[in-house]
Order: sequence, then structure tokens, then C-alpha cells
Amino acid sequence: MEIKKKNVGAMLVGEWNTKTIVAVAIGAALFGVLMCYGGIPIFTNTSLTTAMIIPVIVGALFGPLPAMVCCGVGNVIADLIGGWGLWFDWSVGNAVMAFCVGLLPVYGANIKEGIFTAKHAVIYAVCCILGNMVAFGVITPIFSALFYGSDLNLTFLQALAATLGNTLVLVVVGIPILLVLANRYKSRTNLKEDKGDQY
Amino acid sequence: MKEPAIVFKDFSFQYRVQHEPTLHDINLTIYKGEKVLILGSSGSGKSTLANCINGLIPFSHHGTMTGSVTVMGQETRESSIYGLSKTVGTVLQDSDAQFVGLSVAEDIAFAMENEAKPRREMVPIVEEHAATVGMSDFLGAVPFNLSGGQKQKVAIAGVLGSNVNILIFDEPLAALDPQMGNTAVELIDDLARDKERTIIIIEHRLEDVLHRNVDRIVLMADGRIAADMTPDELLKSDLLQKHGIREPLYVTAMKYAGCELEGTENLGDINTIRFTDEAKGKLMRFFTEESEPMPENTADEVVGFDHVTYEYDAGKPVVRDASFSIKRGERIAVIGKNGAGKSTAAKLICGVARPKSGTVRIDGQDAKSLSIKEIGERVGYVMQNPNQMIIKDTIKKEVEYALTIREMPQDTIREKATAALNACSLYSMRNWPVDTVSYGQKKRITVASILVLEPDVLILDEPSAGQDYKSYTEIMKFINVLNREYGKTILFITHDMHLALENTERAIVFSDGEVIADDKVFAVLANDDIISRANLKQTSLYTLAKHLCLEPEQVTRRFIAHEREASKA
Amino acid sequence: MNNKLVINFVPGPTPVHKLAGSTKMLIFLLFTAAIIATFDIRVIAALMIVPIIAIISMRPNYKPLIVLLSVMLVTTGVIGSIMLLIVSPDTGFSHVGGSTIIWQASEKLFITRETLWYLLVTMTKRVASFLTVMMFALATTPSEFASGLAFLHMPYKVCTIVSLAYRTIPDIASKFIDIRNSMQMRGVELSKKASVGKRLKATGQLLIPLIMSSFGRVESIANAMDLRGYGRLKTRTWYAEHELTNLDKILRIAAIFFGAAILFYIVYFRIINPYPAEMWCPFIAKEDIIAKSQFEDIFFLKWFNK
Ligand SMILES: Nc1ncnc2c1ncn2[C@@H]1O[C@H](COP(=O)(O)OP(=O)(O)OP(=O)(O)O)[C@@H](O)[C@H]1O
Ligand SMILES: Nc1ncnc2c1ncn2[C@@H]1O[C@H](COP(=O)(O)OP(=O)(O)OP(=O)(O)O)[C@@H](O)[C@H]1O
Ligand SMILES: [Mg+2]
Ligand SMILES: [Mg+2]
Repeated sequence: MEIKKKNVGAMLVGEWNTKTIVAVAIGAALFGVLMCYGGIPIFTNTSLTTAMIIPVIVGALFGPLPAMVCCGVGNVIADLIGGWGLWFDWSVGNAVMAFCVGLLPVYGANIKEGIFTAKHAVIYAVCCILGNMVAFGVITPIFSALFYGSDLNLTFLQALAATLGNTLVLVVVGIPILLVLANRYKSRTNLKEDKGDQY
Repeated sequence: MKEPAIVFKDFSFQYRVQHEPTLHDINLTIYKGEKVLILGSSGSGKSTLANCINGLIPFSHHGTMTGSVTVMGQETRESSIYGLSKTVGTVLQDSDAQFVGLSVAEDIAFAMENEAKPRREMVPIVEEHAATVGMSDFLGAVPFNLSGGQKQKVAIAGVLGSNVNILIFDEPLAALDPQMGNTAVELIDDLARDKERTIIIIEHRLEDVLHRNVDRIVLMADGRIAADMTPDELLKSDLLQKHGIREPLYVTAMKYAGCELEGTENLGDINTIRFTDEAKGKLMRFFTEESEPMPENTADEVVGFDHVTYEYDAGKPVVRDASFSIKRGERIAVIGKNGAGKSTAAKLICGVARPKSGTVRIDGQDAKSLSIKEIGERVGYVMQNPNQMIIKDTIKKEVEYALTIREMPQDTIREKATAALNACSLYSMRNWPVDTVSYGQKKRITVASILVLEPDVLILDEPSAGQDYKSYTEIMKFINVLNREYGKTILFITHDMHLALENTERAIVFSDGEVIADDKVFAVLANDDIISRANLKQTSLYTLAKHLCLEPEQVTRRFIAHEREASKA
Repeated sequence: MNNKLVINFVPGPTPVHKLAGSTKMLIFLLFTAAIIATFDIRVIAALMIVPIIAIISMRPNYKPLIVLLSVMLVTTGVIGSIMLLIVSPDTGFSHVGGSTIIWQASEKLFITRETLWYLLVTMTKRVASFLTVMMFALATTPSEFASGLAFLHMPYKVCTIVSLAYRTIPDIASKFIDIRNSMQMRGVELSKKASVGKRLKATGQLLIPLIMSSFGRVESIANAMDLRGYGRLKTRTWYAEHELTNLDKILRIAAIFFGAAILFYIVYFRIINPYPAEMWCPFIAKEDIIAKSQFEDIFFLKWFNK
């Protein structure tokens, strides 16, 4: 029991070696770019964005905290290149959301070993929905109201839109990607040269 | 007794994802202050061996190691990548991965930043190292604005920054122009002066490395050490051909002339080489024979440049007022110094870049009206940097890609793909993921992915970079067939004079964006003025000719003629 | 590359460019904080002056700036305002402290002077924030960004993440172009000669290789960094963090006062004796402001009350 706790803790944090750092950085850059250029707007401040793929991948390969940092930084970058000012409220929101999305390893979906079952897919979907609700239904509105005096009604509607949009992408695009990744890693074992003509 | 710096004992290594070990029972000792060259065919495990020394194996690439490697008496697996980075410096093969800084200056400073050196100490050192590799004017430049060779220079300057006593250069010459290659070899040699410093060079361009002498050559084949001897011994032996490594031109020439290599002194160094009188006689006879002149090409034009100018950043033209015309079925070498604009010229032909002024003609038609795809139907371009081309995740998918897009029937696809894969000696690994192969293999994947299209005009950017002679001759065979049987036009962008000599009739020489020469290869390579202006260098044939007091042009022409006959036979 | 993006990668020539990364970071954060702290349009307006001067002094390429600004004004500005008027037209009440209807269509759809004022204030706040970010983005190279963070005693691994991410953007851009070209050269039509639908689809297909190959480079970059001793020590220096110029020194002293001022403003005007409404408004005298909490008219809370 004691050990198990530790493991979970370790999984949540992930191991911060150079690889993780680089991955998080590249992920953040991709997130930022896709945020700006890789989406179709569906509501003010919210859009159906392909950027959501990034926390899925980073989470799957490196765990929740890396995913979180990745999206936090990524959102700042999006603000910088998108030029719509720095909006901590959404950065924090995205970070929290990414954390929940990135929980994969914690409930045993180990993509690197090619493990991703239907059960995992379900848990994943649930995490996505909850994560988005908490992030954009609670955290972002609070910050928006405090820092930027946004109107709560509007913010909540945005939150709703964001939750729907993100969850849609996360589930509809995310799950196939996870499957592909899992297979990719599975297929990447005992490579041998075969000169056989069986093409 | 010299004290050992690196010791491999009954060492073998198997990448986790691989089915067989990549390195088999390696026993190798490299002593302090030694300068060792590691030769071997592409995929033979050279980089893997290097990575076992610098700690990437086992700390970054996982797998199973047996036996032991000690660096400076320290068992690597008990050390750490950081611990080793204090003693071992590496110039990676993949120079755009090596480039981590944001600007040239910062990249050179990177190692010092990690040592927490105060800035004011870094600055002079950075400037000094930048000067050593001739990149002083580019200190502020960002990586994505540098040409292939320029990146490689920075990479070398980068390790100079960290004063370590074991230096590994993994194919440092691959992207350098001949003169810069010489400079690099000299640079490495100067570093080797320091008796404390041990230097390991991995390189396919044997002739260029031998520009300065090395203490020992380790020859690798299929993950085993096939030979470990001095250059002279190796050149006299027949191991090079046996393992498909290209020998220096002058050695080949001597063999053509039927000389005995045994008696020759300093065979390893063309400058101080001493022939036996008998060998001299044979050489004289061989080179003074007349060879039939090459046929003129009178076909119609396929690609034409007409006063083309292009610039990436306004005010800095990279191709300046370039004009030339390429005829159907020609084989042409595009040569010139790093950053001269060769790759850019290729991009202009493919329509990836569009001229600022002047016109590019494809089949006599102004390319302006053609989309990249339409040009792609006729012109195939293998880019210099394989990482810029690879799209799919397995070798097979990547090679088939272009055909699947054209919705060809399955069996045609299979047929064409198989042919291309064989030509690039990749057939046996067709199902592998692209990111588990060596650099040279990656490069071959991109070649194959274009070969399948059998385009009218085939442009290969540095096809020989990181390739061993064997796989390289395979590719060339295939290409020459395309050229001879199907009258395809071939452009080689290359720093490899040997390639130019063997496989092309005509050379277009770039220097700082301008076409400074457009003439027969042997004429260009025997012209001192052009050679110095375009950072080329005389081949060892040139020096050989001087030894024999013959006309370099005559010698070169004769050599080519003989090669042609040989290849026809 | 540079002239296509707003953010810049090569240190520029002007005095502002030449400032140390730490100074830039300091000023940027202070201004962001100040803008967040106040809802008084007079203060916000005052806060815009410095960024504007700074931006002009850098002689930037204005085209992308204007594009960005207009995009923002349209999306968050116009559309946002319209949404707001539909969703909660009386929001001005809780922010400004009054409700004077100046136009009414129905009992659910009307415009109050206070709401308009509220929109004006929030919009100004956005623009100010935009200008501050642009000031920073135009002035700072990724490594200066990192050294700036280091100056704020961030662990250097975080600094690396930020600078590396920032630095990767052009790589992604060029990677995108490479893959695009590579696809076209091998037979995918992406020029105007193909239908928009086809092009969109192809661009979509392009996304996966883009993401995969970007992550594919992680390992080799990490190796290159490890091999050159990254993360060996607890600390790290930054080549980009150059000696302080005189302007740096002056600005830092100014920054201290500015920081103090912000603190005072928050403590005094927002906590000790706050203005009765969130936003100062010229039309309403201080005494006839009616305090009203936003929470009262959150739609779902209303439902509960019913
Ligand atoms: N990261 C890796 N994972 C799995 N297998 C690998 C990896 N890197 C190399 N290999 C395999 O090990 C073999 C040797 O690779 P290596 O890079 O050492 O060759 P090399 O001698 O350096 O070739 P080149 O001259 O082309 O660089 C290759 O067949 C390759 O498939
Ligand atoms: N994408 C780019 N943006 C800006 N400048 C570039 C870009 N690519 C290359 N350059 C510059 O253009 C010049 C020519 O580059 P190019 O790659 O054509 O040289 P090259 O002849 O192929 O050199 P090499 O032999 O090293 O490959 C170089 O000075 C390089 O700095
Ligand atoms: Mg290698
Ligand atoms: Mg080039």
C-alpha cells in the first residue's frame, strides 16, 4: 500500500530528465502554434482546436505533470504569438485540464509498452470531461472575474463551449491517436532483417 | 607502456528494439593521445560504438550490454552521461540535432553555460572558436538560416568549447566542402597535437581524412571489428574492397595501372608517397595512353536557368544572376563551397523556392505557371537533409508514399518499391520504423522514396553523405541505368569530387551564389583558379600527376575514361 | 522567418532591444500586474503610454501587429460584446454600479449606459494587455526570455523549457513547410490548382507527420544536450544575459518605484478604501452607486432560487 502511494506520486510528477524537458518544450511550442493556427473558432475565446492532441501525447508518454506544464507554457506562447494579451486565467485552466488528460499512466494505460485497452479509453474519456469541467467551469471563471472583470455568465458559457469542444477533440481524435501510438510502440520490437521475398 | 584511454573487453550490445545485437564481441583498446579512424559500411555500428563511449549507451538508448567498456579506467555503466561528458566530447552525426543553441554564438557557448562559466569569460572563447571554423560572420545567425555545412562547422566549434580529453567526431566531413573538409581535418589534427587528448574519427571519406595522418584505422563490419592496423598496412591489404570501403583515388589509379603496392613507401600519404621505379613506369605508361574522347550531348534542354536571382532575406541574394542550361540525359555535378547556393538552386528548380527575378525553364516552359506538384511529375529532388523529407513512419510506407498517392495498382507499387529498396540496400529492413535506422540509412530511404518515381530529372543533394562505397555504388548503378537505358537527366549536388569524376560529364560550379564555371568535370577539377574560388580541392590524382610530371587534366581524363570502360564491362 | 512572425529571434539594434533579458522580464511583469490590478480606465490609459513608446522606438514591422490587433478587436471585441449583450445585458450594473437603459428591444434584450462603459473598460484593458505583450515579444529573444526567468530565480530547467519551446516555433513552421513541400513534390496538389476542400484535407493529413516528427526529434536533441553536460550542475549561466546597459540600470530603479506604486494602489485603492463599484465611471456620482454582487445574476444560480 505504502509503496503503491509512492508510485502514484512518482507517476503524477513524472521523471524530469532532459528528454522530458525537451518533450515538454516541443509540446508547448506545438500547443501554442496549433492554438493560434490549428483550430476553428466556435465561440468567443474558444475553438475546436487540434492543439488538444498535444496534452494527450505528452501525458501518454511522460505523465500528467509534464502535460500540465506543457499546456500552461503552451498557452502563454499562444498568447505571445497570437498577440491577444496574456490571459493567465486560460493558461491555468488549460494546465489543469492537461493534468487530468495526462493522467493516463496513473490508471495503467502504458502507451510505451503498447498497453491501451477499452477500459482505459473509458476512464480517459471521463477524465477528459471532468478535467474540462473543473478547469473551465471553476478555475478559469474565478481568475477571469478577479483579474479581468469578465462577466461570469459569459465566462460560464465559454466554459461550456470549451468543455464541449475540447472533449469532442480529446475523445474523437485523442483515442485513435492513443491507439496508433500504442501500436507504434508495440510494433517497435525485435526488428530483424528479413531478406525473404514475402513483401 | 602507453596508458589506455578506452578499453572494450568482449563487449556486445543489442538495442532493446532490435532482434540481434548490433555490436558483437568487441575487443578494442585506444590509448591516451592516440588518433584513431573508424571505418565501416553504413549500418556497421560505428555510431553505436561511439555512443557506447560517450554514455548515450546505456543511459539514453536502452538495450542489453555484455562485457565491459572503460573510459579513463571508469566502467561506463557505473558512471553517468554527465560524468562522461566531463571527459568525452562528441560531434554527433546529425548536425541539426546537435544544434541546441538559438544562435551560432549561443550554441558554441552551450557547454560553457552548463559549466556555469560567467558570460564575460565565454565571449572571447566563443569568438575564438567561431574564428577557428570560419563562422565569425555568422555569430548571430539562427540555425534555420544556415546551410548544411555551416551547421556542421558550428557543431565542431561547439565541442571545442568544452575542454575534454577524448573527442569523438562522427562523420565530421559529411556536409563540408572539400577545402573546409581539409581545414576540419587539419583542425582535428591540431587538437590531436595535445598529447593528453585522444581523438576518434568516424568517417567514410578515407581519402580526405588521410590528408593528415592517423595512428590507427579500425575497420568495422556488421558490428564486428574486421581490422585494426596502420593506414599503410590497410591500404596494401585487400580489406577495403572486401568490406566495400572506397580507397583513395591514387591507390585505385595505381591498381588500374597494375602497380605492386607492396614496395611503395608512405602509401598512406600522397604527399610523401615514394613509388618504386617499376610502379612509376607503369603509371607513366597507363596515363599517357590515349583514351577515346567523350561524346558531345546534343539533346534538347530539360532545365534552364535564365539570369535567376533569389534571396531568403531581402538584400541578401543567395543565388545571383545564375544562368545555365541542362540537356536531356546529361549527368551533371553541381559543386561549390558551403553556403554557395547549390541546394537553393535545386529548390528553385523544384518550385519550392520561386526566383525573385529571371526565369526557370522546365522542358522549355516557364516554371512560374507550374505548381510544385506539376514540377514534381518531371523533377525529383532528394533533399540534403533526410529529416526534411521523411513523412511516414515505416521505411516501406515512406518509399511507397508517392506511388500510393498516384493510386497505382498494388502490384505495380510493390514492384517499383522493391526495385528502389534493393537499389538502396534497404529491402531487408523495409518494415522497420524510420527512426531506428542509422543516418546513412535514413538518407538512403529518402533516395529510394524519390527513385520509385523514376522522374525525368533527378536531383540528388549530397547522395554520398554518410554512405559507404558499397551502398553508394549500388545507388549509382541504379541511377546510371536510369540514365543510360531511360535517358533520365541526373544532377548531383556534391562535395565528393570522386563522385563527380566517376558519375558525371559536366560540372556547374557555384561560388557565393554565382555560377563561376560550367565545363567538363576534368577540366574544372584541374583548374587551380576555379578550385580555389569554389573551395574545391585538387583530387589526389592532381598530386599524383605532379609526382609524375604529367598534365593533371590529361591524368584525370584518362582516369575517368578507364573508370567508364571498367564500369561498362 | 523573423519578418513573418511578431516574436523575434535575432537581437535587434534599438536601445530597447539591447536591454538585458532580466530588465525586459521585470518591466513586462510589472505592467501585466498593474493592468490586472486596476479597473480604472484613467489608470489603464496611462499604463498604455510606455508600451506604445517602447513599441514605436523599436521600429517594428507594423503589418503583423495591425493584423493581430484587428483580429483581436473583431473576435473578442465585437463578437464578444454582442455575445455579452445577448447573454447578460445588465452586467454593467454589478461592475459599474447602476443601470440606465438607453435602448430597449425586449425585456430580455436592452442596452444600458453602464454596460457600454463596462465594455469600453474591459476592451481598453485588453488593448493595454495586448500592447504590453507586444512590447515584450518584439523586444525579447528566447534566450533573453530564459535568462529573464532565471533572474526571477526560476529553476533553470523551467527556463530551458520556455526558451526551447519559444525557439522551436520557427522549427515547427519550417518543418510544416518542409513536409508540405515534400508532399507536393511527391504528388499531392496543394496549390491554388486544387479545390479548397482537397487542400484542407491534405493539410489535415499533414498534421500527424508534423506532430510525430516534432516529437521524433526529442530524443536526439536531448542526447545532444546531455552530451554537452546539460543538467550536470545545479546552476547555469546564460550567454544571452549580457552586462547591464545604463538604460537597464535606470529602468531597474524606476521599476522598483513602479512596483511600490502598484502595491500601494492595490492596498489602498482596492482594499483599504475601495471605490464602491469595481469600475470608476464618469456618469455616476460616487454616492449614488448601488453595490451589487455579480453572483446575484449568474443564470444557473437564478434557477436554483426559483
Ligand atoms: N536508436 C536506435 N534504435 C534501434 N536500432 C538502432 C538505433 N540506432 C541504430 N540502430 C541500428 O544499429 C545499426 C548500426 O547503426 P549505426 O548508426 O551505429 O550505424 P553506422 O555505422 O553509424 O552507420 P552510418 O555510417 O550510416 O552512420 C543499424 O542497423 C541501425 O538499424
Ligand atoms: N531557409 C533559409 N532561410 C534563410 N537563409 C537560408 C535558408 N537556407 C539557406 N540559407 C542561406 O542561403 C545560403 C545558401 O544556402 P544553401 O543551402 O543553398 O547552400 P549550399 O550550397 O547547399 O551549402 P551546403 O553545401 O553547405 O549545403 C547560405 O548562406 C544559408 O545561410
Ligand atoms: Mg553513424
Ligand atoms: Mg546544400
